[in-house]
Amino acid sequence: MSTEAPQLMQSDPKLSGAGRSRGALKRTLNFMRREPSFALGLSLTVLILSIALFPGLYSSVSPTDIDTTAALQPPSAAHWFGTDELGRDIYSRSIHGTRVTLSIVAGAMLISAFFGGLLGVVAGFVGRLTDMVCGRGIDVVLSFPPIILGVVISGVLGPSITNLVLALSIVYIPVFFRIARSGAITETSRTYVEAARSVGLTGRAILFRHILRNVMPLIMLQYMILFPLVLQIQAALGFLGLGVQPPTPDWGAILEEGKDYILFAPWISLFPGLFIMVSALSVTLIGRGLQKRMNR
Amino acid sequence: MGSYLVKRLAASLLTAILSSIAVFLIVRAVPGDVVAQMLGQSGGSGSQAEEALRRFFGLNEPLYVQYLDWLGGVLRGDLGQSWVRGQPVMEIVFKAFTVTLQLGLMTLAFATIIGVPLGLVSGLFEGRRIDTAIQAFNILGLSAPVFWLGLILLIAVSSLFAWSPPLIYRTPFQNLSDNLSTLLLPMLSLGLLQAAAYSQFTRQCVVGAFSEDYVRTALAKGLPMRVVFAKHILRNIMISLVTFMGLILIQILGGVVVIESLFALPGLGRLLITAIETRDYPVVQGALLMVVFSALLVNLLVDMLYHVIDPRVRVDA
Repeated sequence: MSTEAPQLMQSDPKLSGAGRSRGALKRTLNFMRREPSFALGLSLTVLILSIALFPGLYSSVSPTDIDTTAALQPPSAAHWFGTDELGRDIYSRSIHGTRVTLSIVAGAMLISAFFGGLLGVVAGFVGRLTDMVCGRGIDVVLSFPPIILGVVISGVLGPSITNLVLALSIVYIPVFFRIARSGAITETSRTYVEAARSVGLTGRAILFRHILRNVMPLIMLQYMILFPLVLQIQAALGFLGLGVQPPTPDWGAILEEGKDYILFAPWISLFPGLFIMVSALSVTLIGRGLQKRMNR
Repeated sequence: MGSYLVKRLAASLLTAILSSIAVFLIVRAVPGDVVAQMLGQSGGSGSQAEEALRRFFGLNEPLYVQYLDWLGGVLRGDLGQSWVRGQPVMEIVFKAFTVTLQLGLMTLAFATIIGVPLGLVSGLFEGRRIDTAIQAFNILGLSAPVFWLGLILLIAVSSLFAWSPPLIYRTPFQNLSDNLSTLLLPMLSLGLLQAAAYSQFTRQCVVGAFSEDYVRTALAKGLPMRVVFAKHILRNIMISLVTFMGLILIQILGGVVVIESLFALPGLGRLLITAIETRDYPVVQGALLMVVFSALLVNLLVDMLYHVIDPRVRVDA
């Protein structure tokens, strides 16, 4: 989509900004009508984003307030999702956990998309020794199953948000590397690169002005596709006690706390898990929609 | 085939060596070091106890000497002694690995038996109602966190059937029915996700095959759908399906970490976590090495199988 915009501008300079955005809006609406699952994903994502940005709108109760007289209560009018062993409100914890969990996932993925993407584009464009050295390094990271590597990095370095972000971003660098590398290889063989070379553009200019711009949509799509996976791994690490530490609310961490009460107070585990599932689902639906659009 | 084999083995060997270095270094990336952590506040640096401990663990040597020592041991099948349990690491790791392997193979079988047929049906009836239903299953299955699914299954069986899996793990040779009932829920929670992944992949393969010329030709010359499907499509997508099986096995190998902790199974994943918690580094190294080498081996086997199924595939293909 991002490649479309500049072309449109060049082809019709008279088209006003408002007209352009109205056109894009209309196209998106049309697409949503044809793909109801995309529309569902988009609306759920908007809802989740609004929860992450303004948790106060959805819950006025503090997520960390302890009330031992109300411990382990099942869902009721006062506590929609019940309470945990310290009497904290699970609804409020899940709502406030949204920002914590999603920003860790999104941030870690930005880091791996940046480094993986950059390394991949350079390796694919330059080729030869650079490509080989990067490729071997990436193979090593890939030889560890993702969760295992995450467990080891955040376990050995000690559980904290910084180490969790570090672990998640290292684990997913290879995926972005591969996508960016293969994209860069394809782009490098295109005629426009040859043309750019022949008019005397330097390698660096071609790489950053042309190739990177064309590989970018691939990286962004990969970001969407990977997001649900990374979210699940983040939650798994939290569940193992290797992620966000109490009392900060985080979906995986809430699940970890609920693990010991699973048979007496299943609501502690049920609801944060649903939040994870719905978030993963909504991003997956959007990703699928975008993929369909790009393939056409 | 011969030269391919040599090249492929060499590549795997190189990755194995590099990975073993990574395994070795990861453990040493701890801020401070093991000895300092063991002594805590009481020791103070430069004390005799610190010196003695360092010598005992071989930490007074330069890093590369430590690595070569360890690698030499690995090649002789000696992974050292557990600092916590005092047993040989090889023994501990191997015992845990058998549990993980059994769970992994059971899960793989489950995912294949459920996932592939679903994917085939969904691909054959692309765009119909049954395809939509199967795709919904896929997306839901891929969105639900594995350990959460495990928790839900635990709640479900205990409240619906008043049943919960045996708490103590038994090997299949000790008590087969106990063994299987312990592994049932872990297998289901891991397997549903992988079945969804397998089904989605199979669907893509089938849908892709339908747009190929050979399928169009076969249908155009009047072959019945049944024959085209069995003889042309299945045979051609088989290779992708086999590759995917390897990928899934590696995914399962990773997924067991969480599931084993949840269901208290004495497998490799749980061993790894306990060893990290107790800072039992020889065991961490041993367990990690086992995971990485099995993943590499699975990849290698898949590539070999490729060759048997489809001799057209060459090393650089």
